[in-house]
Amino acid sequence: MNILRFKFTYNSIPRLAFVLPAIFFLCSCTTTEIDEFRQSPTAISFDESIVILGRRQNNNYETEEDFVTCVADVVGRGQNSISVVDEQLFLDAMFPFFEPRTAPMRTGHLEQLMAVDVAADKLEEFGIEYIVWLDGITERSDQSGSISCTIGPGGGGCFGFGTWTDDSNFEAEIWDLDTMSSVGSISTDANGQSYMPAVVIPIPLIARVEANACSGLGNQLKQFINGSGT
Amino acid sequence: MTTSLTSISAHGALKGFLLSAILLLTACSATTINISGTFPAPLVQKLPLTVGVFYDDAFTNHSFIEINDNTGDDQYIINSGSSQIELFNTMLPAVFEEVVQLDSIDSANALNGLDAVFIPGIEEFQVGLPQKTRLNVYEIWVKYNMRLARTNGDYIADWVMTAYGKSPEETFQSVDAGVNDAANVALRDLAASFTLGFGNVPEIKEWLRSENFLEE
Repeated sequence: MNILRFKFTYNSIPRLAFVLPAIFFLCSCTTTEIDEFRQSPTAISFDESIVILGRRQNNNYETEEDFVTCVADVVGRGQNSISVVDEQLFLDAMFPFFEPRTAPMRTGHLEQLMAVDVAADKLEEFGIEYIVWLDGITERSDQSGSISCTIGPGGGGCFGFGTWTDDSNFEAEIWDLDTMSSVGSISTDANGQSYMPAVVIPIPLIARVEANACSGLGNQLKQFINGSGT
Repeated sequence: MTTSLTSISAHGALKGFLLSAILLLTACSATTINISGTFPAPLVQKLPLTVGVFYDDAFTNHSFIEINDNTGDDQYIINSGSSQIELFNTMLPAVFEEVVQLDSIDSANALNGLDAVFIPGIEEFQVGLPQKTRLNVYEIWVKYNMRLARTNGDYIADWVMTAYGKSPEETFQSVDAGVNDAANVALRDLAASFTLGFGNVPEIKEWLRSENFLEE
């Protein structure tokens, strides 16, 4: 019965529960910025593939597997889709050459890797033309507000307000396996504020920051590799 | 009527006591985590060696106990022995031409055609849990002692290897799953550095050269 202390009446609650989300829905939007840097022309035919791999060498974070899968889905679907080899399938087939400790960090290392016959043969078997390295993280900051919930014999409910900011920063570096060089990179920076008003029930109004970063990066990557990103 | 009420009440009290006892015992007991996973065979050129491998009891039944810092009780018992065996049984046949599992080190002498005997061992095992480290990752670190010996027991090489694996903490993920994922990454890490680094261990490199196992 904490709600009564905040001078709300039960009659006003349904109206508030509708109005507050409507207000915050307009506010919980995401800003996405995508930058592309091209070093060389690119093209891919329908019988060639790419593989998108997450960088996992960093000590304090690792590129989420879900984000890599999401970008691969975007690249592999829709108009001008590109065949993408599944990350785990590739890592297992190429084991131990793409593990966090052994993965090539620079294109010079890729040349060394291609000098190993078994590795070069396997890459050719996959028909991979480009390797895309994804590196980044989504960080949460500016968390404020509080929500308290009460349960009593007559029922229960929550009241309060919470807000936070999500910031996704990812970079995709594209390596050409024919020339064994980096052909460019795409970076994405998406941020947005989420809100959680609670009037009897908590209503999450989540800014789809990582999802927007994923679709923005995936679509740009598709254009880049198809050669229409210039 | 009175008897019946007393009987019900006594029965209820007994049930309550048993329930409390079970809850208390469950609260005090450590959680056992059995590491499980499958590992891919490494994609490397096999060395032309017939190697006997011996897993001692400490390795086969390797278990690590994580202590609760507040109470001093066992908090988690992490059994990784069977996964270690699974990993080595997948990795070694990909590295060496032929691998023979030995029941004892002494049995190597009786077998013809063995070039060397390999004995892996675990020296240290550490686990990092998010609730203790305040990092949002599960971490596993293992220090191995690897030994390669001639069939007569003389050592060819005795070297240390470390393996590290981390797994990001996910919403609604159990500690078991987090530890298991991190352990699997650590085991893959070991296999990666073992397969690519075996021939680069100085004593082994020297032995391979002296025995003409290396193609120049």
